[in-house]
Amino acid sequence: MKLLRHDLHLLSGVYVLDAMDSDLERDRYQRHLARCQSCSAEVRGLREVTTRMAMAAALQPPSALHGKVLADVRRTRQLPPAADAQPRPGRWRGRLSGWLPRLALAVATAGVAAAVVLGIILVGTQHRLSIAQAENHAIAQVLAAPDARVLTRPTSAGGTATIIVSPSERELIVTTAGLRALPASQVYQAWLINPRRTRPAGLLPAPAGGKTRPLLATGLLPGDQLGLTIEPAGGTAKPTTTPILVIPLRA
Amino acid sequence: MMAMDPRDIPRAQPEAVPGRGGEPDLDGLLAQVARGDEAAFEAVYGRLAGAAYGLIRKVVRDPAQSEEVAQEVLLEVWRTASRFDPAKGSAATWVMTIAHRRAIDRVRSVTATAARDHLVAEPAPASDEVAEAVEASLDRERVRHCLDGLTELQRESITLAYYGGYSYRQVAGLLGATLSSIKTRIRDGLIRMRDCLGVSG
Repeated sequence: MKLLRHDLHLLSGVYVLDAMDSDLERDRYQRHLARCQSCSAEVRGLREVTTRMAMAAALQPPSALHGKVLADVRRTRQLPPAADAQPRPGRWRGRLSGWLPRLALAVATAGVAAAVVLGIILVGTQHRLSIAQAENHAIAQVLAAPDARVLTRPTSAGGTATIIVSPSERELIVTTAGLRALPASQVYQAWLINPRRTRPAGLLPAPAGGKTRPLLATGLLPGDQLGLTIEPAGGTAKPTTTPILVIPLRA
Repeated sequence: MMAMDPRDIPRAQPEAVPGRGGEPDLDGLLAQVARGDEAAFEAVYGRLAGAAYGLIRKVVRDPAQSEEVAQEVLLEVWRTASRFDPAKGSAATWVMTIAHRRAIDRVRSVTATAARDHLVAEPAPASDEVAEAVEASLDRERVRHCLDGLTELQRESITLAYYGGYSYRQVAGLLGATLSSIKTRIRDGLIRMRDCLGVSG
């Protein structure tokens, strides 16, 4: 464990360069960041270095860009401030109290499978709050996105998967209920499937009470479908079994 | 590294220089953008569009695709301005972080094109490719100076990852080094850059 921690600390540079090898690795580091104050301070400093490197690469943008962007701006609604945008002393409690009403509101707005989703996510929150702070925040953002949609589908391994997808945030949340229990040597793995490229989207956490804690998948692209497969523990780089579920996420 | 005659460097506009007094302004502008102020957005555009576009070009390379990504990024700045938190870093950093991520998303989502295959064969994008740059030459000069202060492995790892858009595993492959040594070189190099540039950590 010590070794692992040490290893994670050294990833700060790779992280600020967006050079992580996989989303899995990045997600793991982000969870670590949420708990490691010295790491987040280091990341803050190193990010200012990358900003200088960006400024040093400045070029005259194409002249048409200005007009295109302003036209976009005129027809695009802005996101409201996040509930926890204000820094506050009781950070923990602040996050949670800001989070739950938003979550409830968003789920109510989404309207579908509301009770199920809220139940699942609350179980997750209470159990893993200290670990999943950053993740929860990101999940709340997906739920609060104006274009968030909820999809529930049965899987061929029994049970159902519920997906909340926000094309504008380019993220989605996967929760499941009643999936067949797997031996320790296997795991359910999520995928973003695209004709061009299929990317691993994370491993479903071990179920508690038949339900899995929400998994956040990022980097959604137009045309992606969500897939679930059963893979060897630890996951794989490419699907090796027939998916138990494939859902189009049509943006 | 090529030496640069300081007389060749056009004078940077004071407000175009990040982290040197201009910064609180940019933070304030973003707060106005969050309230729907289009004029403030235009000001942010004027200050950061060049850097965002230049960074994206470095990574994506193709001008048309770079323009598309830049358009997405700048719209994202407008759309999500309310999520900018000055406690977590400067406004310029927030925008450049979005720009870099979107550029990386683009190159990693597109199946390796002939152009990028070609790039693998000819690694190490030259760091003086920014001749047509229009502003922030002070930054350019300082960054160049600080990059020059790194070991070769540190410098190449950092520029291949950041400007080249390669993952650290790909960087390790290109440089014939182990993953853990690349990881360490990148971190050590960036810490040295941080101290050299005098940015606050």
